[in-house]
Amino acid sequence: MIRRLLLAMLAALVLAAPAAAGAPAAFTTDSLAKIKARYAGRPFILNLWSVNECSYCIAELTLLGKLAKTQKRLPLVLVATDTPDYAAAMQKTLGPLGLGGVDSWVFDDPIPERLRHAIDPSWYGELPRTYLYDAQHQRETVVGVLSEQRLRAWLKKHKLAN
Amino acid sequence: MDGCRMGQLTFALLLAATLAYRPVAAMEHRHDAKPQAAKPTLAVGATLDSSGRVWLARVENQQLWVSRSDDGGQRFSRPVAVSSAPEEIAANAENRPKIAVAQDGTVLLSWSQSLPKRFTGNVRFARSTDGGRSFSAPITLNDDGRIGSHSFDSLAIDGAGRVAVLWLDGRDRDAAREKGGAFAGSSVYFAQSADNGAHFSANRRLTEHTCECCRTALTWTAEGPVALWRNLYGSNTRDFALANLDSGKQRRVTDDEWRIDACPHHGGGLAVDARGALHLVWFTQGKTRQGLFYKRIADGRESAPMALGNPAAQAGHAAVAAAGSTVLLTWREFDGRAYVVQAMRSTDGGASWSAPRRLAESAGAADYPLPLTDGARALVVWNSASEGVRVLPFEPGSPQ
Repeated sequence: MIRRLLLAMLAALVLAAPAAAGAPAAFTTDSLAKIKARYAGRPFILNLWSVNECSYCIAELTLLGKLAKTQKRLPLVLVATDTPDYAAAMQKTLGPLGLGGVDSWVFDDPIPERLRHAIDPSWYGELPRTYLYDAQHQRETVVGVLSEQRLRAWLKKHKLAN
Repeated sequence: MDGCRMGQLTFALLLAATLAYRPVAAMEHRHDAKPQAAKPTLAVGATLDSSGRVWLARVENQQLWVSRSDDGGQRFSRPVAVSSAPEEIAANAENRPKIAVAQDGTVLLSWSQSLPKRFTGNVRFARSTDGGRSFSAPITLNDDGRIGSHSFDSLAIDGAGRVAVLWLDGRDRDAAREKGGAFAGSSVYFAQSADNGAHFSANRRLTEHTCECCRTALTWTAEGPVALWRNLYGSNTRDFALANLDSGKQRRVTDDEWRIDACPHHGGGLAVDARGALHLVWFTQGKTRQGLFYKRIADGRESAPMALGNPAAQAGHAAVAAAGSTVLLTWREFDGRAYVVQAMRSTDGGASWSAPRRLAESAGAADYPLPLTDGARALVVWNSASEGVRVLPFEPGSPQ
């Protein structure tokens, strides 16, 4: 009986797991280094957004979601400048845009300036903002909404386009 | 397997599933009910009345609380709740409650209420006619009757009965989109009162096509209420505009050429001194200049923009207060370890300035600093999570 109960609980936990998939990770001062290590020798897109404070971000995420549907290899990392309390709200926004499974992070520091500084000392918090990292991790900064044209050109250049 | 065991197993499954799902479900629920609940509410409003008392408006537990200090901010009275009904009050970053005290002692408040639907809210107003012991039931000033964007309110009074409240309003954008059209930015609307807020006139539109996500500023001059806001010039150049609400006359006051399809979350500040000179602070990352700046506009002449603060320390969110010939500027920096409040003062209407002074720091979450002056005293109000509200005197003689 006990074994059955434990099995049942395990089954329930496994079933519940997909609900938690894609929940944002806490972004702290050393997170960018971890992200870069994960993409060592590979290009990637670091996109900064906010679920709460940025109407332009939704337009940009819609574009990224559209691309993610056709570009299975889209090396996209999303970082929200909200707080971890907004994890559910973030998922609720990203899911319908087709970005529910994307590598997603959320600021976790009472002083967001510290995290902004870790990403880019010249960033004052304007959103959206995107960094296009090449394979050597030299980056281009896109201030404001990223255009589809620029993104497609970047993907093509880095041989990531389908 | 008998029926009893089956029942137990089903129960166990249900229990386990419930336990496993609960954290997600709870967060979803919280988001649906009140999406702003998790936001810190460190942003306070403050003013100095004509008797030199410091008034404070702060948000806690979905309530707006008003208290008063008779000793320059060392001790505050027991806070009084403005409303009996809780509501989501925006008190974070560039959103804060506003408080003003008229010559007859009427205490006036405005704030932005956040509604559950994203980017929607109301501009609210309440007042006290018994010295802050009780408050009128809050009213919604935006009169379009729509669930839409109404936020970033600012409040100014002439002290003798006239009141203006101004805000960013999405009604024109919504109307354009409903007709299938496009609309750049937001609009600025305002309401006025001639009887210290007992009644307000119908909303009026000041302008269309403004930045959507920066605080507005409003001050009362001898010629009436004057507003400063981040405007949209062309498709996406986000420089500042100034207008008199009575005449509607509007002009561009910064030439930074900040072209950006984004939310800067970084508005400007405005104050007027006894001679009628306007004092402006603002932030830009424009083509012409980048950083935090001050300038004054007096007798139709503008001073050259004066850079404020350390750009390497993300100097930002400046505010300005003026009375008599005193002008007080504050802003916030992050020195790599802690937030730092910086301030500088002019006692000759902005012609010459003290060196910037580092007034306080905090190693945790913090509000932007607020300057207060009545012409004689110069105080900086600063709220931080660890230290609470501090009222810091600007004393140029004290050691740095």
